[in-house]
Amino acid sequence: MTQRQIEILLVEDNPDDVELTLHALRKENLANNIHVARDGEEALEFLFCNGAHAERSMERPPKLILLDLKLPKVDGMEVLQRIKADERTKTIPVVILTSSKEERDLVKGYGLGANSYIQKPVDFDQFRQTVKSVGLYWLLINQPPVSDGLPCTAEQVSGAK
Amino acid sequence: MLYNASVFRSESGEVEGVFAAARDVTERKRAEEEVHRLNEELEQRVIQRTAQLEAANKELEAFTYSVSHDLRAPLRHISGFSKMLTEEFGSTLPPDAQHHLQRIQEGTRRMGLLVDDLLNLGRIGRHEVKLKATGLNSIVNEVVDELKPEWAGRQVEWRVANLPFVECDPALMKQVFQNLLSNAVKFTRTRSQAVIEVGQKDQEGTPAVFVRDNGVGFNVKYADKLFGVFQRLHRPEDFEGTGVGLATVQRIVQKHGGRIWAEAELDKGATFFFTLGASDKTELQTNAATVGAKT
Repeated sequence: MTQRQIEILLVEDNPDDVELTLHALRKENLANNIHVARDGEEALEFLFCNGAHAERSMERPPKLILLDLKLPKVDGMEVLQRIKADERTKTIPVVILTSSKEERDLVKGYGLGANSYIQKPVDFDQFRQTVKSVGLYWLLINQPPVSDGLPCTAEQVSGAK
Repeated sequence: MLYNASVFRSESGEVEGVFAAARDVTERKRAEEEVHRLNEELEQRVIQRTAQLEAANKELEAFTYSVSHDLRAPLRHISGFSKMLTEEFGSTLPPDAQHHLQRIQEGTRRMGLLVDDLLNLGRIGRHEVKLKATGLNSIVNEVVDELKPEWAGRQVEWRVANLPFVECDPALMKQVFQNLLSNAVKFTRTRSQAVIEVGQKDQEGTPAVFVRDNGVGFNVKYADKLFGVFQRLHRPEDFEGTGVGLATVQRIVQKHGGRIWAEAELDKGATFFFTLGASDKTELQTNAATVGAKT
């Protein structure tokens, strides 16, 4: 089965934010292999290859997850916690990209193993610069561990639930 | 009833007479009890009202915080899409339309600054003051250094005296100087030779720190408006600003149990003084906590 290698998983519920983020990434040619999950549940299904994404294989996990915190169904913190608690996904860099700079969110986010925490700037030029820096850093500069993701077996899928 | 009796004796000790009196003090007792009851009632009412006020203030703070927080998202969208419009279609638009777009962006930028300043003010309200002995000179030097881009290309003479070590929250104290010194830089902009002075002065037994400039100053008639949120004494086209800076400074100084005031004369510069209240650590802390809860 040929599967497109997804480099970035963008977890964002607000369509305007999705559009602006994609626009910023496109400018840097970073938007070709991106998947957008519109709520926490879909993000988890995508990552753990179940539900609507049961046809996916876990062999090729995304190289970067951009995670909003305020999300419908399953909120960002829970998504983060599930990613970092699972052997198969815990090495994927998670960058929290959110409106909030609440200290308790920062503390909790890093406590759960977030790799970075960024407050979305109001000014679009700054926002674009931020998204660009994040994309370039995690996709090009940063050296990830050798990817040894395993294919999804029925057992693992149920384990992930 | 109040009874009173006395025996009168002669020099040799013989009883010469007896005096006895009975007075009805019901009225007095009743009055005393009434005063006592009223006092207790009053105290209860003060406790109740204080609690209500504190709750209302907390609620107001939380409200300000979440409003400004939730305002950021739509603001980001306005900024983003108007920028995209300018970049992608700007050249095909008539000059008027381009001008309008520019005004939208400028408005968004200003509102962004406002929202961020308000968020900061709200955060300070809830921030627990962490006192630490801190040399004010190192904070001032750091801030002056950071402000350099704001006075690049201008003649600014900095006169920074030897400042004391004080018990304060260093992060908050830095914000005090950031605001006061950047104001001094801003309001001396029209001077060919700006002089900004930081020093200390004895203020009725308590040391006060001051920041003085030779800028445009202000009319003391409006001094009471100086520390109010959104209050500005200058036109936006003359001097930019959100009107939140000095309110922030006042909040921080109050949280330290101190007070802040200003002296100025129109076109002859301004001086801002502040004290940091009680030197006793614990007292300062409780004081700061109370003020924090009430402001």
